[in-house]
Amino acid sequence: MNMKRVVVVAHKEWREIIRDRVFFSLSFIVPVVMMLLLGYGLSLDVENIPFAVVDYDRSALSRDYTYRFIGSRYFAFKGYVSDERALARLLTENRVRAAIIIPEKFQERLLNDRPVRVQTLIDGTFPSRTMITKGYVIAINSAASQELLAGYLSRKGGMPLKEARQVLQPVSLEVRFLYNQSVKSIWSIAPKLIMVILMVSPPFLTALGVVREKESGSIYNIYASTVSRGEFLFGKVTPYIAISSFNSLVLWALATQLFGAPFKGNFLFYLTATFLYLICTTGIGLLVSVLVRTQIAAMMVTAIVTLVPGVLYSGVLIPITSLTKTAQMVAHCLPAMYYTNIVVGCFLKGVGLRVLWLDTLVLVLYATALFTLGYSLFHKRPSS
Amino acid sequence: MNGEQPNRPFVARAAVWYRRMQVMTVKEFLQLFRDTVVLGFMVYVFTMDVYLAGSGVSLELKNATTVVHDADQSASSRELMYRFRPPYFKLDGEIAHLEQGVRLLDQGEEMLALYIPPHFQEDLRNGKPTAVQLQVDSTNSVLGLLAAGYGARIVGQFGLEAALLRLGVAGDGQENLPIIQDDHRAWFNPNQNDAWFMSISELLTDITLFAIFLPGAAMVREKERGTVEQLLVSPLSPFQIMFPKILAMTAVILVGTALSLFAVLEGVFHVPLQGSLTLFFAVTTLYVFTTAGLGMFIATLARNMAQVGMLTVLIFLPMIFLSGAWTPPEAMTYWMRGLMYISPLHYFLDASFGILLKGAGLKNLWDSILAIVLIGSINFGLGMWRFRRQFQ
Repeated sequence: MNMKRVVVVAHKEWREIIRDRVFFSLSFIVPVVMMLLLGYGLSLDVENIPFAVVDYDRSALSRDYTYRFIGSRYFAFKGYVSDERALARLLTENRVRAAIIIPEKFQERLLNDRPVRVQTLIDGTFPSRTMITKGYVIAINSAASQELLAGYLSRKGGMPLKEARQVLQPVSLEVRFLYNQSVKSIWSIAPKLIMVILMVSPPFLTALGVVREKESGSIYNIYASTVSRGEFLFGKVTPYIAISSFNSLVLWALATQLFGAPFKGNFLFYLTATFLYLICTTGIGLLVSVLVRTQIAAMMVTAIVTLVPGVLYSGVLIPITSLTKTAQMVAHCLPAMYYTNIVVGCFLKGVGLRVLWLDTLVLVLYATALFTLGYSLFHKRPSS
Repeated sequence: MNGEQPNRPFVARAAVWYRRMQVMTVKEFLQLFRDTVVLGFMVYVFTMDVYLAGSGVSLELKNATTVVHDADQSASSRELMYRFRPPYFKLDGEIAHLEQGVRLLDQGEEMLALYIPPHFQEDLRNGKPTAVQLQVDSTNSVLGLLAAGYGARIVGQFGLEAALLRLGVAGDGQENLPIIQDDHRAWFNPNQNDAWFMSISELLTDITLFAIFLPGAAMVREKERGTVEQLLVSPLSPFQIMFPKILAMTAVILVGTALSLFAVLEGVFHVPLQGSLTLFFAVTTLYVFTTAGLGMFIATLARNMAQVGMLTVLIFLPMIFLSGAWTPPEAMTYWMRGLMYISPLHYFLDASFGILLKGAGLKNLWDSILAIVLIGSINFGLGMWRFRRQFQ
């Protein structure tokens, strides 16, 4: 391989990129915009759930009970309604996402030491939000029950209310959150966003590289020239890797400075691993570019192989262990999952090569395999 | 005879106008159908992609891997331990040392480590307060919080039962205790089937992607190939060039939507499809048609395919994340909610979920549909305006 020719090809490609000013500026703008949007936009916290109440009892106790919801920061009270028909309408029109129906004789039954069944209707359209809402409802109901039970015990057993409360909770749970002590959504999301963006943007940049020359016919210059296959492909991807490397630094800065995510690991190791990952994702773009014949096709195939797996099968939102068996297999075949382990390890856990050596090794193998494949599939004498 | 004379040019003009539209529409359809790669991609997206999104993914806590360090080794500690069970938790056995748990969490092998202290059972019997510890890997904050929440519920229930047993109140059953029995129901999706939500939202996302990308790409390809010059010298008006393109794309997208709706959503995931399908397709047509204006707008800015791709991403992503599908509007900041109200996808999402899952009709959804019409007209007008200007 002649380095001089590689440099020349790279230089030519670089010229082409910077002369297309829209493309050049977008290749830097798109990753940053993605990071900002996803960072600010992907909040999975569920708060201020709008809810309404039907109170058939209208007693002091039922009002107290309603206040447990009104006072919670997870719920936003939208008013009382007269009956369940009105509730159905509110739920259908998206005005409320939860509704509480307090039955008649609520107070009477409780004062007579009888249990009461309180119905809660939750909008099930968005399952993950429904789950969380359900959790809040259960928590508020059991807190209310505890309070009622403590009152009951102090009346029957004659023990003070405070002691009764304690007796009812003999076991407490001490939760320690490791790695992300304040459990901030953005801390856990920001590092993984770097992974997603570096999964999507380098292939998009590279995918059109070779196929553009095929479509415009300028590839025949390459076929006829002395540049070898390897020199051509290496020169071709170098500018794209350079752009993506710069972007990865910008993304790192955004994650740590703007979003305040902690970085506990070794920076040098992180840089090396990121560079490896970039080579992998750029390699995916290159492979697509070598395989297809039109630019539209290149973009579509890139979207298929990067976007969906990058978001769904990489462990950003759903940990790999919670995926179905097939989805887990898909996840193991892609570099995203391994790099997720590395980013999370470097940012939040503060572990290094000792723990993450296997993930790093997989990235190395992946990069090698992709480029070997790209090399063997690119011919200077196309069959057709 | 003479009376018809003034009409003739008009009729003739209308006939020519109609004929030109027809020819152009046929041309667009032909072009689309001959592009096997694009068609193949559309079929893939409307079937496989929707299927994958609906089947593999669930945003709830499932099988959170848990290890236990049980320092008590008693009946009570074991009972508590075995309450951490599927679907939320999955017990991966016991460990001998505390440090081993941290190491397993570091390596990402386990998500939770539960520590039960010595004398757990003894304390419980004597009514002495005791505490168990749960270490949670919170690198995924939502799941970390969920796990802690479920853990607290399990331990709280366990403690309450033990306390009632000790006090001898549990003997006469819960019928004689003043407690609130929780009876919650999820409407519209009673079994919390993630596939329903995921597949519908993926379908709507794909519709949006195509509505923007296809017209933009088709127009820029004419620029790149140089065929746009032929259009420019033809007697066609900008409207006659743009409208058939959008018409053809909309038709193809609607066919894809129908395929996805009946084959995947109803066929595989058994989404109930509560409301009127006519209304759903009418709303989809309206949405696709107007959103195509954005694609045309991109086509006027971009000069080559690469730029179309990037600009599509730049417009498409904010639309997705500000639609309310991933972040509930209640949790958005003030300015983000403001942006959400100008994203047509937000209203399309509202209307589609309303029709498909909630069985809502025109009566409930008129405001969303009105918003699609308004924002859509602006988008379409913007695309048309730029397009005209570029052609003259």
